[in-house]
Amino acid sequence: MAARHVPGVLAQFDHVDGACDAIRELKATGYKDLTVYTAAANHEIEAAIGDPISPVRLFTLFGGIIGCAAGFGTTIWMSRDWPLIVGGKSVAAIPAFVAIGFELTILVGSLSTVAGIIILSMRKSLKGRPYSPRFSDDRIGVFVPCGADRAAQVERVLVQHGSVEVVRDA
Amino acid sequence: MAVIAHDPSLPTQTHAEVTRDVVRTITDKPTTGYYILAGTMAFLVLVLLGTFTAILKYGLGLAGYSPPIMWSVYITTFVFWIGIGHAGTLISAILYLFRSRWRTAVYRSTEAMTVFAVMTAGLFPIIHIGRQWIFYWLIPYPNQRFLWPNFKSPLMWDVFAISTYLTVSSTFLVIGLVPDIAAVRDHVSGWKKKIYSALSLGWTGADSQWRHYSRAYLYLAALATPLVLSVHSVVSWDFAMSIVPGWHGTIFAPYFVAGAIYSGIGMVLTLVIPLRKVLKIEHMITSYHFDNLAKLTLFTGSILFYAYGMEYFIAWYSGSTFEQTTFWRRAFGPNWWAGWSMIICNAFVSQLLWFKKIRRNLTALFVISIFINIGMWFERWVIISMSLTNDYVPYAWGQINPTWADWGILAGSFGWFGLWFTLFYKNFPIVAIQEIKELIPMPRRSHGGGH
Amino acid sequence: MADEAETQGVDRRQFLKVIGVSGAGAAVLSGCTTERVAKLVPYMVQSEDQVPGVPTWYASTCAECSSGCGVYVKTREGRPIKLEGNPDHPTNAGSLCSRGQAGLQSLYNPDRIKGPMARNAKGEFDLIKWDDAIARLAAKLSSAGGKVAAINGYGASTFSTFLADYVTALGGTTVAYEPFGREAERTANDRTWGKAELASYDFGAARHIVSFGADFLETWGPVVEQQRGFAASHGFHDGTMARMVFVGPRMSLTAANADEWLNVPAGSEALVALAMAQVVASRKGSPLAASLASYTPDAVAKDTGLTAAQITALAEAFAAASPSLAIAGGIPAQHRGAIELCQAVNLLNEAAGNIGRTVLFGTTVGGSDGYASMVSLFDKMGQGSVQVVLVHDANPLYAMPKDGKFAAAFAKVPFKVSTAAIIDETAAQCDLILPSLHALERWDDLHTRAGVTGLMQPVVQPVFQGMHFGDVLLKAAKTIAGPVAKFNDASFEARLKSAWQKVAAEQKAGDFDEFWRMALGRGGLFAPMAPAPQFPASKGAVSYTKPTFDGTGDYVFLPYPSSMYHDGRGTNKPWLLENPDPITKITWQSWVEMHPDTAAKIDVREGEIVELHSPHGMIRSQVYIYAGIRPDTMAMPLGLGHTAYGRYAKDRGVNALDLLGAADGQGFLPYVSTRVSVTRTEDYRKVARVDGMPRQLGRGIVQSMALMYAAKGMTPEEAYKAGGRAPVEENTELEQKAIEGWHDAQLENTKVGNYTGDHPKWGMAVDLSRCTGCSACVTACYAENNIPTVGEEQVFRRREMSWLRIERYWEGGEANEPLGVRFAPVMCQHCNNAPCEPVCPVYASYHTVDGLNGQVYNRCVGTRYCSNNCPFKVRYFNWLKYNDVAWPEPLNLQLNPDVTVRARGVMEKCTFCVQRIRAVQNTARIEGRDFKDGEIMTACAQACPSGAISFGNINDPAAKVVQWKKDPRGYVMLEGTNVQSSVTYLAKVLHDAPVAGRGES
Repeated sequence: MAARHVPGVLAQFDHVDGACDAIRELKATGYKDLTVYTAAANHEIEAAIGDPISPVRLFTLFGGIIGCAAGFGTTIWMSRDWPLIVGGKSVAAIPAFVAIGFELTILVGSLSTVAGIIILSMRKSLKGRPYSPRFSDDRIGVFVPCGADRAAQVERVLVQHGSVEVVRDA
Repeated sequence: MAVIAHDPSLPTQTHAEVTRDVVRTITDKPTTGYYILAGTMAFLVLVLLGTFTAILKYGLGLAGYSPPIMWSVYITTFVFWIGIGHAGTLISAILYLFRSRWRTAVYRSTEAMTVFAVMTAGLFPIIHIGRQWIFYWLIPYPNQRFLWPNFKSPLMWDVFAISTYLTVSSTFLVIGLVPDIAAVRDHVSGWKKKIYSALSLGWTGADSQWRHYSRAYLYLAALATPLVLSVHSVVSWDFAMSIVPGWHGTIFAPYFVAGAIYSGIGMVLTLVIPLRKVLKIEHMITSYHFDNLAKLTLFTGSILFYAYGMEYFIAWYSGSTFEQTTFWRRAFGPNWWAGWSMIICNAFVSQLLWFKKIRRNLTALFVISIFINIGMWFERWVIISMSLTNDYVPYAWGQINPTWADWGILAGSFGWFGLWFTLFYKNFPIVAIQEIKELIPMPRRSHGGGH
Repeated sequence: MADEAETQGVDRRQFLKVIGVSGAGAAVLSGCTTERVAKLVPYMVQSEDQVPGVPTWYASTCAECSSGCGVYVKTREGRPIKLEGNPDHPTNAGSLCSRGQAGLQSLYNPDRIKGPMARNAKGEFDLIKWDDAIARLAAKLSSAGGKVAAINGYGASTFSTFLADYVTALGGTTVAYEPFGREAERTANDRTWGKAELASYDFGAARHIVSFGADFLETWGPVVEQQRGFAASHGFHDGTMARMVFVGPRMSLTAANADEWLNVPAGSEALVALAMAQVVASRKGSPLAASLASYTPDAVAKDTGLTAAQITALAEAFAAASPSLAIAGGIPAQHRGAIELCQAVNLLNEAAGNIGRTVLFGTTVGGSDGYASMVSLFDKMGQGSVQVVLVHDANPLYAMPKDGKFAAAFAKVPFKVSTAAIIDETAAQCDLILPSLHALERWDDLHTRAGVTGLMQPVVQPVFQGMHFGDVLLKAAKTIAGPVAKFNDASFEARLKSAWQKVAAEQKAGDFDEFWRMALGRGGLFAPMAPAPQFPASKGAVSYTKPTFDGTGDYVFLPYPSSMYHDGRGTNKPWLLENPDPITKITWQSWVEMHPDTAAKIDVREGEIVELHSPHGMIRSQVYIYAGIRPDTMAMPLGLGHTAYGRYAKDRGVNALDLLGAADGQGFLPYVSTRVSVTRTEDYRKVARVDGMPRQLGRGIVQSMALMYAAKGMTPEEAYKAGGRAPVEENTELEQKAIEGWHDAQLENTKVGNYTGDHPKWGMAVDLSRCTGCSACVTACYAENNIPTVGEEQVFRRREMSWLRIERYWEGGEANEPLGVRFAPVMCQHCNNAPCEPVCPVYASYHTVDGLNGQVYNRCVGTRYCSNNCPFKVRYFNWLKYNDVAWPEPLNLQLNPDVTVRARGVMEKCTFCVQRIRAVQNTARIEGRDFKDGEIMTACAQACPSGAISFGNINDPAAKVVQWKKDPRGYVMLEGTNVQSSVTYLAKVLHDAPVAGRGES
């Protein structure tokens, strides 16, 4: 976290419902750019943050389409590129190429999905935002970027919703 | 929490305990037993390398090949390992889509097993060809001679199926691992911390990460599900597409897929039953989980039972003397013992799992799982090699006696697989921390059960 | 030449000289090459007209056995690379047997000694210089005081005459010796007609052949000629075929080709012949009837195990057929009653009126002096009355039983000289070895028949430092002078020419040089056969006495000559060792044949090593269980068990002669004259067999049909139905409909790239009613296609590389039904829907535009899927760098430059000899014409003595192969697989009913 420091308040919660309430209230009061840390995916928190469904599925879709096209394209083109008769079958024997078309659909599809995760996650930089090892254990962390002037108000909201530990990080 | 405490599919520990118990498996000092195990595996890997070097120097003839049996131990073992590699993705993808909770306890270990099994299988196509040094001619790479591979050949389908499967299953493993590595990172110190930080790819569990992560995982599962079914179908077509009596069967794809899952679960049992003791995670992988695994085994085993029967029926019903001879000799020919060990170990032994007592008795399960491993190796041996001993032209019939070169590679493949797995389970979370936590409801201020 | 004496094989210098020779003699036979052949004489002249890459053909003569077949030698860059039959030669008319083709492997044999050798004080051999060697020989000969003896295994020829004269001049004696000397026949002919000569037989004309233990398709007589005749008469043609019956205790390859095999006890063949003669004579009212009266079928039935009815029926059929032919004199019937047997057969032929029709006299020449004279010679040696012995082209110490203590007698000779090029058993006992030249390295001739003399010319620089024995003797004569001073020719070549001056004179040839060149170009002097017109009536009848057997064992011991090893001279050639025995399909080993019942009785399994004890010796060999032999008989092939004779022969198998007595009662070695007892050892050695399952299981691999159906022009399928037999595996109605026109539909899709336009399409047809299973085609395939031999250990794993194999299947033979045998050459069938092609991931196996099933060795990565998917299993995989071990120098000089030597890890297979196809196509293109039908011949088709294989372009309706394929007998193997193979087999034809009830029908 050597990078540019983001001022704000970092709170830790034991209870999921408290964390959610805090998130909702902060969002309502205009703090859009929260960062919530959890050890596992959690629906309540997702709901509280209320981000739209991840667009990663588009990567999957287009990846799949490209893979499929590539699969049939290369096989057919390569077979015709130097026509050799084998077993008295036609040079471009489509049924035989289905297997390859299919496998490539899956391959490119899943690779682009992974690429999706990486690209999309990197779109929002977490650089300079504080983090605590307990987030990967049993606590929920909520970081609210804000200037020192508004920190007190943010702290109040967090504590009121049962944050067990609040650090003003300015 | 109290309300649902009795649901055996749900873990009983808190988040903190989960982290602690799993991280412990990594942070505890390795025992001498561990070093012996790893050493043995490493030795077997040397056996593999030694044998392969000899083959490179003198030729495939060192193995027991004896025409017309042109494929024997190597291809048999190849299919054996590919089959093993099917349990992992089945559990991590298909059962994920089915939302069956019990998978969480075992899926990491099976997924690791899958990846390493496929890595092992991947060696064999190279070992078994006559001119190993030009194996890459099977890859459609651009070359100035404009020579492309023949995509009509089932072997080419294989190349694509196996490489795809290896990529996708490793992707699965890695994706699942990242948050857990992050968890480990936060509980170790010193040089280890550095390494795990690097491996955790900067995972913090921030909402912006989980948001894409859980979606992507869903789609990966959706893609992997047909893949699992396709890979072993393609492998089975290596045989079914030929005209060799005993290979040329339309039921091969489902038959092989069922066999693959069957053998995969078998290997999972063989690995996990001792593993949970060694790593002291019995409370995370309980007899409840084994019960489910056993049911899966029973199911696929019964499909095999049916397939075996159907093979004989078709041989008789087809009226083709070639088919009939092949299957007659499979049961009563010179290699009857191989044929029967396959039927007994797979079709009959799996039927014991109808009894809950046996499903819940880990010792029994372990013994059965050994039978399954042996039986499934023999199934491939019988289908592949024994079918070749007697096809169309009687004058060309033959028999085969494998040699040290066959056994050396076979043993070595276990070493290669074992070494990877041994190193893995001691250095990475063998139970999926974050998925288990997903199942554990987080504490709430306002009590009153779940939501 | 000291440097070369040391170098192994052929060094560069020598190789360049090799180029030199044929460069000088570059001659293309078709052009009949007169002035070019003349250029052969100045050896070392480099010539400009040598075109690298273009084969040069020479005519020569095969010296592998006494038949002396004519050969064409194909040389490339000065190296003979293949032997093919000389079409002009009356004996073999273009084809050649396995042993003849393997002559190349004695030319290039790695065990040929590098130069003359002398035994030193320590008793070991040292290489010496030729001058030295000749000096030593001359010294000994002049000091021998006339006590010189020569053993000459080479047939009637200018050389043999010269040798005899030479030795006589020195006051010595010469014995012409051949192990299988056919002495009994000569004696019998002498007793019957007062003519101590051999007959030649016209198998082609005979309508009914009865062989009494004469293996005329293997080793007895000029087999290539006899096989050609047999195929002509016994092969199905114009709705008919001759009948052949074999009488003897063991089913040999010849017997396997007979329609009936009467397995009478050894020694009782004569009774059958006499009884037949008696019946025939009385039917035909021949004067012989009276003298034969006592041998009625009833009288002999008991001793032969046949019924009187069988014999009568056989005799009547024999009498009815005109002309017929009865033969005897083979080794398997050479017991102490052999002479009576041959006499009886003579009478049978005379009674049936075959003399002058199928039995022709006045044609054969020379021949061996017989076993008796050898025995007496060795007696003289034993008495010490021989000072110097010269052994040329013979190996008596191997070929004569150890029981005779011949080695001891031989050792008594102070100075023993051998001309063996490879140290054999006899040479190993000699004091001086003067390696002679191979037939392809020397000037020589071979007089095989009245009016037929084959010529040999050097077509290659001697591979090692050998010298023609003729030249040795001439050089020695200069030193010896005195009685041999008269032999003063400049060289043996000169002497040969002067001898031919006389021939030219007889032929009334004007210009000798012209005559000589013509003769060389043609390969010799081939006058048509002129049998003696008049023939004396036979002198009286035969007095049959039951032949006796030494020992009290339970089993008669029957050693028989192997069709590959002959008298043992073939055993040092890997081609012959790996080419399986046509009947047992065993390679690289010797074996004991016993009947299943016998094996059960003494409780042995195949491969168990048993000890055979006879009064004269004991041998250990492994058991092969064979239904084609009498339960009271045990058989073993001859020719193995060498104790010297090079790396391939030495210590391989056992020598069956060790069980025989050497006693010579009647002027020949009675091979079948001992009884043996068997003891088990419970040691086992795998039998190196190459046949997997020897039964067809109703799969119609080698189909056969009855004569009556074939004559009606039925297909095998119809014949099966008509005969009420189950048809072979075929597609059901529905399947037929499903594949109806499928192939043609596919053809439309395959008209792309080079595949458009019209190309020839290669096809083959094999007539199974002509194929005898002799396996000459297999050797031809090895020679033409650089196929490596893999050796016994690899054959244990069935890794032999025989692109072309003769499949041998048993029919019947169980319970009491007669044993039948089927042969079929199986090579790549070049399927149009080849299953091997689509499964290859790298297109190494693909279909060429002219319909060949191509295999690109360079592209092959060795997945071996193609072989798994090949229903015929005709693809062969190089498992262990066979290419490195199969051709120790200089065997590698034989390799055909037009064919890749396949590396390890690659799949290989029959290519329909694509190199021969392309060669003809290119010539035709250069000459701006189309290739002619019959111009393109695969190696197998070219070699086949039966003319059973036909190859050509099936798009040419006039082609012979197309005619053959139209034959209703035609079928393709495994039609049910719909692979559309390009090889059609014409079903074997069986007679409708056996006359003596011991044949299949």
